[in-house]
Amino acid sequence: MRGIRRFLPALFMLPASLSVTLFFVIPVFMTFVFSFTTMSSDTGILGSRYIVSEATIRTLKDGDLDAALVRQLDSRVFAVNEAGLAALRKSNLKPTVVKEIEEKLSGKVYASEKQLFAALKGLSNRPRSFKDRKMVSKAVVQTLKNREFTTPKEFRAGLASIGIEVTDDVFDVLLEVANTSWKWTTGNYSELMASDFTWKILANTAFYVVLTLFFNVGLALVLALVTFYMPSGQSKFFRAVWLIPRVSPSVIYIMLWRWLSFDGGFMSYILGFFGVQPENWLNEFPWTFVIMANGFVGASMGMIIFASAVVAIPADVLHAAEVDGAYPWQQVRRIILPLMAWPILFITTYQTLSLMTSFEYILLLTDGGPGFFTTEVWALNAYHTALSNYYGNLRYGFGATLAVVLVAVGIAMSLIYLRLFDFKKLVAEPQIEN
Amino acid sequence: MEIRLEKFCKSFGPVKVIEDLDLTIGDCEMIALLGPSGCGKTTTLYAVCGIHRVTSGRIWFGDKDVTALPPQEKNVGVVFQSFALYPHLSVYENIAFPLRIRKDSRADIERKVNEMAGVLHMEELLDRRPGQLSGGQQQRVALARALVRRPEVLLMDEPLANLDAGLRLEMRSEIRRIQRESGCTSILVTHDQVEAMSMCDRIALMNEGKIQQIGSPDDMYHRPENKFIAGFIGNPPISFADGKVEDGCFVTEGLRIELPDRIKGAAVSAGQNISVGVRPEYLRPDFATPIEGEITFIETQGREVLYDLTLAGGQVFRSIQSGEQVCGVGDRIRWGIDADSVFFFGEDGNRI
Repeated sequence: MRGIRRFLPALFMLPASLSVTLFFVIPVFMTFVFSFTTMSSDTGILGSRYIVSEATIRTLKDGDLDAALVRQLDSRVFAVNEAGLAALRKSNLKPTVVKEIEEKLSGKVYASEKQLFAALKGLSNRPRSFKDRKMVSKAVVQTLKNREFTTPKEFRAGLASIGIEVTDDVFDVLLEVANTSWKWTTGNYSELMASDFTWKILANTAFYVVLTLFFNVGLALVLALVTFYMPSGQSKFFRAVWLIPRVSPSVIYIMLWRWLSFDGGFMSYILGFFGVQPENWLNEFPWTFVIMANGFVGASMGMIIFASAVVAIPADVLHAAEVDGAYPWQQVRRIILPLMAWPILFITTYQTLSLMTSFEYILLLTDGGPGFFTTEVWALNAYHTALSNYYGNLRYGFGATLAVVLVAVGIAMSLIYLRLFDFKKLVAEPQIEN
Repeated sequence: MEIRLEKFCKSFGPVKVIEDLDLTIGDCEMIALLGPSGCGKTTTLYAVCGIHRVTSGRIWFGDKDVTALPPQEKNVGVVFQSFALYPHLSVYENIAFPLRIRKDSRADIERKVNEMAGVLHMEELLDRRPGQLSGGQQQRVALARALVRRPEVLLMDEPLANLDAGLRLEMRSEIRRIQRESGCTSILVTHDQVEAMSMCDRIALMNEGKIQQIGSPDDMYHRPENKFIAGFIGNPPISFADGKVEDGCFVTEGLRIELPDRIKGAAVSAGQNISVGVRPEYLRPDFATPIEGEITFIETQGREVLYDLTLAGGQVFRSIQSGEQVCGVGDRIRWGIDADSVFFFGEDGNRI
């Protein structure tokens, strides 16, 4: 009984610890691991693969391997063997033709298609049309190119099939170059440091986070305080209105912004009355729209937290401030805001982190544009790099690197905030009870 | 400065809390608004300082009509029941707050706060936060904050309710001393009659939004205007019994009291229903008018003993006597009432 009791707390914690481990610790750890790989949609995420591709040949040509060998790797041979003959038997060539090929040419190897065709011409039941001859060549052709091997042994057999025998040293070089599977690397980090885009995107992110943060925390505070001093019926209505962006689906919300801003949209229509030419305002002022769209959503959340924090301040404290001569603005500055330090810290931290990591509104609104990387922020860039981009090569490893940097910056930011707001003092000081 | 409330009314939505209240508080006077909870005394206080708007009627500070003035523009010091200290400010900053809002100079603020701290004996507390103070210390900070800018009017809402018994006793005389020294007109809201009687010059007894009687503590106790006042003031409370007028006497089963001459002929007629109120100290073995019954309850309070005397008709009278217990529960006894000191009330509750 006592033994069970000792483990009871751990038992109660089990579901929570399991889900935290499964859905947070492991993904973050795996992201960290992936950031040290070259994984991409080219390499796949599975184990080794050896392919001699056009790119492999190009690399080998630039290397110091024997040029003849490289040419040989790039070449095709035509070997009349049992596998080829079996394929021909299944084709719609005349059986007499196939039979003669089997009798006369079996075991022969030709270095080019021309030689094969010459040999075919010498047969009595020869394939008449070019199409038929091509069919024969296709059945017996042997090449290394773009064939996939999963082990070095298979790769060696593949070399042998086109008549290449190499020493172990040369084989190792070939193996290395032909290996298209992912590799361990720290190159992602050095690439990140070296890239000009990194700084551009970092500046974009800082600009976006700081401005949106000021916009939504400021607006949330103003809304909370204004609704606090309003009659309760009206304040409820206003708060409900300000919640609409939060509760509307993001796609619809962004559709409204686009409708508002495009050249035949609401803004252009209204400004038309003042003689302003219609314009795609989103393209003109992309940041303004990105910040406002995000800011209004964030403000509603802050407003709810701040409004409840204001209401939680004992009414008598504000009455006392009133009789002490403080007008609403002085009450806000000297009493309400200092007493709301904790919710303000919470919202600022929360919004900073969520602004840094969320990108769906930007994705839907501008997708990082207009133009090249104009409104591309870090999280959106990670998404583009790893999961969806124009070039088609999805770089999982490099995307993971971007994500790791984001996590590290996020943790650093929260630590800075806790220090800045003197977190220890905030939780240590008891508030007077009323 | 004189405070005058004229036909003051206050409603919250459809609920009328105060109706047509008239009250005048003299210069430098300290008056108690006394009454059971919900009688409207705090509402009156909040209206005087301006936190609540007045529904109708006028409030005057001296010759100035302050009815519509917001609290910021009245020079009123208020001590709240919860003390309402600013939790994020030190004691020093709490006291300095009204001065900072008024934009006094730094030197002035320092001098006044230190002076206030001296008066209330809390120089060593100035660096603390309200959360680190005891109830009595918080109370003193609240008082200091209310007094630091020399208000013309000092309002206190149950300032002693949150303190323990010993501290309450000490703060009672402390507040009275400071009020006398500062000379500001004061209103003290309380539900504690002892507090009201011991601290204030006059008491305004309120019930259901109306002032029942205004007078000195002595007036209230010895000359209550109605049954409510007689019942509210006095601890242990007065005992009432219903009866009839017969042959110039108040008669109920087991008790017969001769009516005093002033009301015998004029105010009452034979057969009329009236009631009697007897304070416990006027029922003792040595008084003249006899009362007979059974002791049904005894409470020993040390210096005094409290007896419940149940008459044949079921009416209960209370007696308080100093000294040791003289009889036991269940004893039948015959004691006396001081007929000159009892009150008679008509059916409308007013004293005859």
